[in-house]
Amino acid sequence: MTRVIRYAEARALQGHRAGFASRVVADLVDLGVAWLLGLSVLAAAGVASYLLTGPPFQLPVLPNWLDATAGAAIAVAYLALTWAATGRSVGKQLAGLRVVDRAGRRLALWRSFIRAVLYVLFPAGLLWVLASRRNASVQDLVVGTAVVYDWAYHPAEEPVAADDGHLPRPARSTKHA
Amino acid sequence: MQDSERALVPLGSAGLPPVPGGRIDMPRLLAAAMFGLAVEAQRRSLNAAGAVAGRLGWPLRVLARPAVAVARGSVAVAGHHLNLDGWAALGLAEQRRAQAVAVKAARTLIAALVAAVLDEIDLDQVVGRVDLDRIVARVDLNQIAARVDLDAIVERVDLDAVAARIDVDAIARRIDVDAVVGRVDVDAVVARIDVPGLTEQVIDEVDLGEIIRESSSTMASETVDALRVQGMRVDGLVSRIVDRILLRDGQRQTDPLHGQPQR
Repeated sequence: MTRVIRYAEARALQGHRAGFASRVVADLVDLGVAWLLGLSVLAAAGVASYLLTGPPFQLPVLPNWLDATAGAAIAVAYLALTWAATGRSVGKQLAGLRVVDRAGRRLALWRSFIRAVLYVLFPAGLLWVLASRRNASVQDLVVGTAVVYDWAYHPAEEPVAADDGHLPRPARSTKHA
Repeated sequence: MQDSERALVPLGSAGLPPVPGGRIDMPRLLAAAMFGLAVEAQRRSLNAAGAVAGRLGWPLRVLARPAVAVARGSVAVAGHHLNLDGWAALGLAEQRRAQAVAVKAARTLIAALVAAVLDEIDLDQVVGRVDLDRIVARVDLNQIAARVDLDAIVERVDLDAVAARIDVDAIARRIDVDAVVGRVDVDAVVARIDVPGLTEQVIDEVDLGEIIRESSSTMASETVDALRVQGMRVDGLVSRIVDRILLRDGQRQTDPLHGQPQR
């Protein structure tokens, strides 16, 4: 099932590597999602505590190290699983992005896991997108991945392809550096 | 008396009633003969006068005119002196009285006759002899119906007036709705309706899921597409700004990835 994309410029850029702004938006959304996930884990723990020990109901207060570790673990799990499953987390779905490997295919689980760990430990690696001629972050360079514009649904194993029939700015996309 | 009438009334002894004992009633015979003689004499004199008048027609009429005029004048004068009007009135009154008596007698006679006739007739027998079926068979109802102008009849009916005279409220009051409803077997009606079948049919016709998917996905995708395309534009803008700051002259390499070496 592929739906029609209304914007000609968007059709032309499908499969191209995404720029900094889109990826920051996607990652901010994912940060929020990870935070909500952590909060819901805490809430679940609070409910369990309430059911077992009785009132008052309150969220468990963790020591900082455990708080940070658990939060990071949740974020890594969330990102690694979603990237490996479909290539798109919630934020990337919203921004119309997809994480693929060098061949344009879905990531293997180990690759997406390493990428997630690297992002959680070193988020500033994303800034390299600004400087990279291929819009690659540090993590992309290390793990061998790319983030592309992909608004439509694809079968997992099918490489993402651009719609080259509608290139509004051919010089931008066809000229090799 | 005219000739034709005389022919219908037999004259002479044949017309006389028979006398018991075979003897002739002499006075009645004489009176009848005198009456017949007088009638015959009147007839013959009238015939003679008619013949004379036929031969001497116009000279007599010419000569008679002055005489008639004089006679009329004299009759008028005489009438004036002799009170002829009074006598005429008397005559008229007598005439009317005689007429009334005659009419009364005739009515009495007719009533007696009809009563006698009716006594003789057995109406049941008459009716029994009437074959109604045959009469009805001879009546062509279609023809009659064809001759009836229904439109004209309907036009003459003032339906509004008729409707105005109908008291609907009174009729409605007389209807026992509960009794009517009570006689309706709702369960039987419901049992005859294939509700599950109908429901399935309706659901088959209406693909609710498809409608919801279509509408929601259209709305959502329009919003998301707008957001995504804005992201793309900002991506391009940021890239150009950074490239200018870094004094790069070329474009970024963002092609699709197939077989491209990662740098």
